[in-house]
Amino acid sequence: MSEKSINILDVVNLPLDIKEHEKAVEENIPSVKEGNLKIYNPDGDNVKKLLTLLKAKLSRQVVGSMVGCVHCGMCTESCHYALARPDDPTMAPAYKADQIRRIFKKHFDWTGKIVPWWVHAGDPKDDEELNRLKNIVFGTCTGCRRCTLNCPMGVDTATLIRLTRGLLAELGIVPEGVFQVSRDQWETGNQMAVSEEDYLDTIEWMEDESQDELEDPSLKIPIDKEDCDFMYTVNPREIKYDPRSLGAAAKIFHLAGESWTMPKWGWDMTNFGLFSGDDKLGGFVARNLYEAAKRLRARRIVISECGHGYRSSRWEGYNWGKYKQDLPSESVLITLIRYINEGRIKVDPSKNSLPITFHDSCNIARSGDLTEEPRWLLHRLCTDFREMHPNRADNFCCTGGGGALSMVEYKPLRMEVAKIKADQLTATGAKVVCTICHNCIDGLTDVIKHYKLDMKVVQILELVENALVLPEK
Amino acid sequence: MSDFLRIMENEVQIVALSFMAIVYIIRLLWMFHFAAAQELTTPVGDTRVGISYSMLNVVMPWTMESTRTHWPFYIQFVIFHLAVIMGISATFIIPYWPGLFKLNSVVIMFQIVLAAATVVGILRLIRRMTNPVMRLISTPDDYFSLVLMTLFFASGVFAVPNTYEVSEWPLILFFIMTTFFLIYVPFSKISHYLYYPFTRYFLGKTMGHRGVFPRKTGGELPAGLK
Repeated sequence: MSEKSINILDVVNLPLDIKEHEKAVEENIPSVKEGNLKIYNPDGDNVKKLLTLLKAKLSRQVVGSMVGCVHCGMCTESCHYALARPDDPTMAPAYKADQIRRIFKKHFDWTGKIVPWWVHAGDPKDDEELNRLKNIVFGTCTGCRRCTLNCPMGVDTATLIRLTRGLLAELGIVPEGVFQVSRDQWETGNQMAVSEEDYLDTIEWMEDESQDELEDPSLKIPIDKEDCDFMYTVNPREIKYDPRSLGAAAKIFHLAGESWTMPKWGWDMTNFGLFSGDDKLGGFVARNLYEAAKRLRARRIVISECGHGYRSSRWEGYNWGKYKQDLPSESVLITLIRYINEGRIKVDPSKNSLPITFHDSCNIARSGDLTEEPRWLLHRLCTDFREMHPNRADNFCCTGGGGALSMVEYKPLRMEVAKIKADQLTATGAKVVCTICHNCIDGLTDVIKHYKLDMKVVQILELVENALVLPEK
Repeated sequence: MSDFLRIMENEVQIVALSFMAIVYIIRLLWMFHFAAAQELTTPVGDTRVGISYSMLNVVMPWTMESTRTHWPFYIQFVIFHLAVIMGISATFIIPYWPGLFKLNSVVIMFQIVLAAATVVGILRLIRRMTNPVMRLISTPDDYFSLVLMTLFFASGVFAVPNTYEVSEWPLILFFIMTTFFLIYVPFSKISHYLYYPFTRYFLGKTMGHRGVFPRKTGGELPAGLK
């Protein structure tokens, strides 16, 4: 597919790709056999199934958002898709949410049941329309929740989009990338299908590297060590593609004299259930993490830098997994603040002298609780911090949220609407953009490449590592 | 005053109001029959503060970018909803406290707000018909509700002087509109005010629990130092 701008009609007409479904059935993989990973059945009565699933998933909160929209249109200017495509009204969040709302109205709302045309209530006619719905909820929304926070009524449109994604995931009507990542997380417990051997090898490699860099053979990355102060959990991307952040964390924890461990199983703090809308997958992955910490008798769970990973592990996972939180969990940022504040590590901001701006991850700023923490750190880690505007909970998505990076078919549209982000980045005049999310790293890197910006992306751990003042031997 | 107007102002309104109340009670029971999602995490923020912040957002336009950057739209919102309160109040003042509308200043104040809201209603109707996004998302109910409200405001302008001895027609028209309004509203989008406390409560509860509400603007003490 061409990378040039495409019309929304091209997006909604993208067909369902089921090659991977067929392969999974053929190989009879456990997640399919056990009914966890849903396969598309063209002969199933999918529209009827969708209605049954919808009924089962309606909570009071969801119903509130279904009935609360007054179609005031205020959400339109909060959405980067709608802002970047002002001539395309189908990008309005209210329109996207209305695609599930119309089904709700047809079956649960008095007026919609009796005079459906009066309130635009209606059912999808067939699987073709379900496929169109798939393209809208997966292809034109990153679930950034900016519209939710800007809705005067408090309608949680992002939750409705995720709910719809979850319904479609139950029918196997999802983009191929979503199917693949969900499969990997069900099958291996981590979303990049990292084998235990690769995981342990990478950790050993990082341990050796960190020992060499600090010239200190006592530095260890403990695995499955019991009774530690905390269990450290990471994003599989750190193991598979960019283990430097793990090395940086290991060095910092070592210098701080920390008692910590990583689990052999249950180490993936990311959770594709957040993106696919599959609460069962979300609960499965999150429980792995919580149970690992319990098994190791860790006193805390520390979550490395990741937007959706933090949101899933700190907030949503307990609810999906119906697991009452029994241990404190925190972002590694809070751990770092504690170290610096208590003097356990020393940093020299002059070692990061390039102008740096900060990109707030949607899942942390709008669905989490960390906006001041990265800034507190940045003010101590660099000499030229430049605020991006708008920022904090008003920041725009990196365009890679909501699992968008795994859905290559929607990339042309994603790059087109990234203009909003590119303009925001350019206006800062910074040479470095710092983020605390792995999705944002890839999302921002795509934006920088596509719009030819003279910038690089870093994370806080990298900046801390760079600014470290090593104790004299 | 004719018997027709007297019945319209009293018995008919009471019946229509009772009907609306019953439908609303059923609607609330319907809302409550859906299970509320459970929160199993330990809080970072204060849930009650989050709920209060969320519910009060209506009077804090600076807290949302959508209202902060669209002051004219927010002012329209204030006028429109102020007129709703005044219009509904007028349906009680006229039959039960007519003395209030003997005060010229009160009548003029009501008329100014109701007239302004009529203009706002017309502006909103034009926006809904001409803006492509608004046209796409608008349902017949959206148009009808807006027209209904605008006509209600307009009829209110002529009704509030309560000069039935001069002409009863403005009052008859106002109370016919009110009756229809009371019966139609529970089935239309106008009933959004019934859901407003729910949606804002739920959002405030979640965001307050997580420490997202009240929104941070800089200078707050970071976690780790608290």
